Amino acid sequence: MTTGLIIVQLMNGIALGALYALMAFGLSIIKGLLNIPNFAHGALYLIGAYVAFEVSSSLDSFWLGLPAAVLASAAVGVVIERFGVRRLYGSAYLFQLLLLFGIALVLEQCVILIWGTLGQSLTPPGILMGAVDLGVSLFPKYLLFTTLVSFLVIVGIWFVIEKTHFGAVIRAGLERREMVSALGINIELLFTLAFAMGAGLAGLAGALAVPLVGVSNTMGTDMLAIAFVVVVLGGLGSIYGAIAAGLLVGIVQSMSALWVPSASTVLIYAMMILIIAFRPQGLLGER
Amino acid sequence: MLDNRLIGLVLALAGVIVAPLLLPVANATELLIFALVAASANLLIGWSGLYSFGQAALFGIGGYAGGYLLANTDLALLLPVVFGGLVAAVFAVAMGAMCVRRVGIYFIMLTFAFNQLVYYIAYSWRDVTGGEDGLFGIERPGALLPGLPEIDLNVPINFYILVAVIVGLCFLALLRVVDSPLGQILLAAKDNPRRAGSVGYDIHAAQTLAFAISGFFSGIAGVLYGMVYWIMPIDAVHWLTSGYIVFMVLVGGTSSMFGPLIGATIFILLQDFFSTLWARWPLLFGAVIIAVVMFLRGGVIELVSHVRGFAARRRAMRGEAGNA
Repeated sequence: MTTGLIIVQLMNGIALGALYALMAFGLSIIKGLLNIPNFAHGALYLIGAYVAFEVSSSLDSFWLGLPAAVLASAAVGVVIERFGVRRLYGSAYLFQLLLLFGIALVLEQCVILIWGTLGQSLTPPGILMGAVDLGVSLFPKYLLFTTLVSFLVIVGIWFVIEKTHFGAVIRAGLERREMVSALGINIELLFTLAFAMGAGLAGLAGALAVPLVGVSNTMGTDMLAIAFVVVVLGGLGSIYGAIAAGLLVGIVQSMSALWVPSASTVLIYAMMILIIAFRPQGLLGER
Repeated sequence: MLDNRLIGLVLALAGVIVAPLLLPVANATELLIFALVAASANLLIGWSGLYSFGQAALFGIGGYAGGYLLANTDLALLLPVVFGGLVAAVFAVAMGAMCVRRVGIYFIMLTFAFNQLVYYIAYSWRDVTGGEDGLFGIERPGALLPGLPEIDLNVPINFYILVAVIVGLCFLALLRVVDSPLGQILLAAKDNPRRAGSVGYDIHAAQTLAFAISGFFSGIAGVLYGMVYWIMPIDAVHWLTSGYIVFMVLVGGTSSMFGPLIGATIFILLQDFFSTLWARWPLLFGAVIIAVVMFLRGGVIELVSHVRGFAARRRAMRGEAGNA
């Protein structure tokens, strides 16, 4: 095994981890603000992927497909929040969970109705085709691109949350929901925005994944499971923990593919169990 | 309370007798099996407040473990059935011990992650599980225990009766569990974990034990499920199955062990009905789930008690009118 291969796998892992981080970051925001386990997050990722695929292939422009996917998923997210989740604030988790499970089921079936069950693939846009020379080895340009976009988006959201007035409101909402609404802030609008933001991130992750893995109607479920693992690993009460954990999971998965390719998915879960056994609050979580 | 339970048992028995007359026998058998899974899930969900979204993992592990023996050995029927239950119970202890340390959403996500772990293991361990194709060649041995006379279980109704007896015994055992001190501790821990803990009960141990018991019965149900169509499909360990089980528990109602039986019946009837209508039946099913959550949150069992309360009030009013 050459160092070149290991470095490439490491960078693969970072690119993959960046997608996981986008997913889990969105889940964490929704979990933190709305206190809801978003079981429809995988379906939103799925919608993002298919919309990106559809727009990119019919208009022949990935650059339109990307924002279209984000908007489509965010819009579906707004509908879910306004007409579904909103009515269940304050009721038991199990009902929220079952509602979102039902929504996920309906959305996944709708995707199958529209696009069929056949998997499809999409090539990256011309400018991102090919590879760059890293000195030790070649690396696909598109993977660099997904990594870069994911990090820019995450940094952008970090900036909004930590440095702007709107972000201050969100942070306050994460800490004390009732207090925020008592201060006269429209918490309902905040919830809708947060859900739309989380959903948009899922859509973005889905769209970015299309040139890598194509589209298939099971991709949402697979991604949802990993995103949950990442959130659990990231830790309680920490939205940034999800980013670190996302990268960790991506790197572990792609590095383990070097040695035990068939078990790399199972390994993620094994890692989760180990970490939870020794650090139940997660990587960056508080007790 | 006691006479409510008696009514419940009589109705359940009537249901067991009527089901194979109204439904294809295989579907009626499936109904009983899911009723057992749902009831054992309710030990966690309703009694312990542990919102497990990973019941299919326990169901599936039992199914694969027992199914593997049924497909590859000549053991008498009850041995693989109990073996499946035990393997699922052991896994449930490990899963429960990890999960009960987390509460709320993290608990739900963890159980879900365990579900997916089992799914991927089943998916990649082809030699044992058959991977994507499912575990083929599951037999229904004629002898229940070594030395007992053989029964022809390939006659559907014979197999149905056997499943009914096993499920019935398991259900009675579950009722016994919820009546036991353990059941009381679980209820107390659900209502107020801190207080139940400070009184001196080891809550996590009790909840882990509940996982083990729930896993045991779900595992048994899994083995029976494999025998219905002679195959253990990988779909059985998919998270969708966990979702369906949660649906059964919730739609039936969590406040009584009989609720999940109603829920399983509703699930099987809806599934049969929808799947004849449209290949995309999960869409219809999802719509029903959404409607139930929006409009019928107490489950059918509470609807029944509302109606009964209403009828009782009516009777009382009529009685007063009669006395006057």
